[in-house]
This record gives sequence, structure tokens and C-alpha cells, in this order.
Amino acid sequence: MDKKESEFLKKIKTKFKIDGKVQRDRRIWISITDDKLIEICKWMKENGFVHLSAISVTDWLKDGNYELTYHLWSYDDKILVTIKTRINRNKPNIESVTPIWEKNAQIHERELHELFGVNFNGNEDLVPLFLENWKGPAPFRKDFDWRDFVRDEFYDKKNEREQVYYD
Amino acid sequence: MVKRSEKAKTMRKIIKAIWIFNWFNSCGFAELVPLVGSRWDMERFGMIIVGTPRHADVLFIAGYQTHKSIERAKRVYEQMAEPRVVIALGSCTMTGGMYWDSYNTIKKLDDYLPVTMYIPGCPPRPEAVFEACEKIFEHVKELE
Repeated sequence: MDKKESEFLKKIKTKFKIDGKVQRDRRIWISITDDKLIEICKWMKENGFVHLSAISVTDWLKDGNYELTYHLWSYDDKILVTIKTRINRNKPNIESVTPIWEKNAQIHERELHELFGVNFNGNEDLVPLFLENWKGPAPFRKDFDWRDFVRDEFYDKKNEREQVYYD
Repeated sequence: MVKRSEKAKTMRKIIKAIWIFNWFNSCGFAELVPLVGSRWDMERFGMIIVGTPRHADVLFIAGYQTHKSIERAKRVYEQMAEPRVVIALGSCTMTGGMYWDSYNTIKKLDDYLPVTMYIPGCPPRPEAVFEACEKIFEHVKELE
């Protein structure tokens, strides 16, 4: 295992008192609580992690959680740091990272707001990215049944030829 | 001798070639490229793809349409001059195809645009597309 990863992990662990591990070469995973996110992200940006590759959400239906994952890349150290944090999936509120990464973060936050309904506090421009005139719930939530929604929206149960969609 | 109306006379005069505007989503264009290529070569039937809907007689729609793209397709249709024909290719435009349970694609194109002819298939054979265009000529010739 390479030395730079363990050194960086040690540095961030002592600074913020958080959990983390070296996943493999050039990959570090750290888990944090959502109130520490902005503090850590600011520090990361100052330490060379200028590239926010992606923000993603995993819907843990049984736990009642959304897991937000921030992938940060440093061009100097050549390390990809993955920051994981969990929030309540029924009240998905989290601080926006747009003040830190600006436009880089904007597109990811818009996407997640649209597909998972996550509210990014401090982001003023959370307009829909892909969907137009969308009236249903956030479509990527695991408790959203696409098939039922489509049957209500597009098909007619009384129509004999569309019976096949209800079988 | 059939007595033809003014409309039929004009139509018979102007319909020498079919100018096409393509509105293809997803795999639609990739599957219909053979139509343009040298093997099936649609230009020998006078079919040519034009750059703007204002010049087109026929609108080809293929692939699944999303709620977002159908709004644009409607605008394209509105720009076309009369007489205009909409030909829907492939199963996606007929029933939604493999996207029949997708939340953001439309299912039947004729709920949104006046479709003149559906060509089934996934993708339709080039011969089927030619036959559809042949039917447009026939239709014009049958006009009285």
C-alpha cells in the first residue's frame, strides 16, 4: 500500500477526529456526520482537492437514510477521497457545497434535488435538470413505484387492448 | 377521365420528391442510417434529408420520446408547411416499446401529434420505410 494515502488519512483523522480507511491505491473513504461536512469540505479544498467529481445519493430504505457521497480528486496528490454522510430520508436537508466548489457542485445538486428530493440549504438555483412539468414524487426514491405511477398516468384499465399492462 | 380537384392537381404537380426532416431520439438514427447509405440509398426514390423543418414534407420520428423532447417535436411539426406527413418509426413510438413502464417517456405518439403512418419494427426494415413513402405517393395519386 502506498505511503501517501495513509499519511493523508492520518492527517485528516487527527484534524477532525473522524472514521476512515484506505480503501486501496489512491482511494480513501471517510465517514462523517452531516454537521461537519462544510468544515471538512473547506479544508479539503484548501488542501488541493479542487475537483468535485460527483455527488451521489444511495437510498437505504430499511435504515431510513440517504447516504450522500462526495468524490473529491486532488491533482497534486493524485488521491480520490470519498466522503460519506448520512441524512434522514424523510427530511433530506443538507448544507450546500456550492459556496466551496461553485458551478462544479451546482449541476450535481440540481440533479439530486430533482431525482431524490434532497434540499441543499444555501443553493438558490435548484431548478429541475431533466424533467419538465413533473408532478409526481422524486422518481429515484426506492418507495416510488414507477409501474403504478405509469398505469395511473398513461393507461386506461377499461381499454381492452391495454389490459396487458395490468396483468 | 377522373375529374380532379384543384388540391389534387396541385399535389400531383408538387409531389416529385419527399423531403424529410428527422427527429430521432436514442437509437432511432443509428438504426436508420442504412437508409441513407449506399446499400438501400433513399435518394434514388427522391427522398432526401433537409436541414430545417420549414423545407420538409415528411417528419420522421423514431425512438422513444420523453416529455421534454415531445415538446420540441411539436414545435418542429408546427414549423412544417402544409401538406405535411408524420411517419412514426419503430415500436417505441407505438406503445412505448421496452419503455412501456418508464415514468418519463410518452407511450403513444398519436396522443401528442397527428401521426399519418406507423411503421412497426425494432428497428423497422429499410424496405418497410420505402413502402411507407410509396404509400404517400399512392395516396396523392388517388386524390380526386
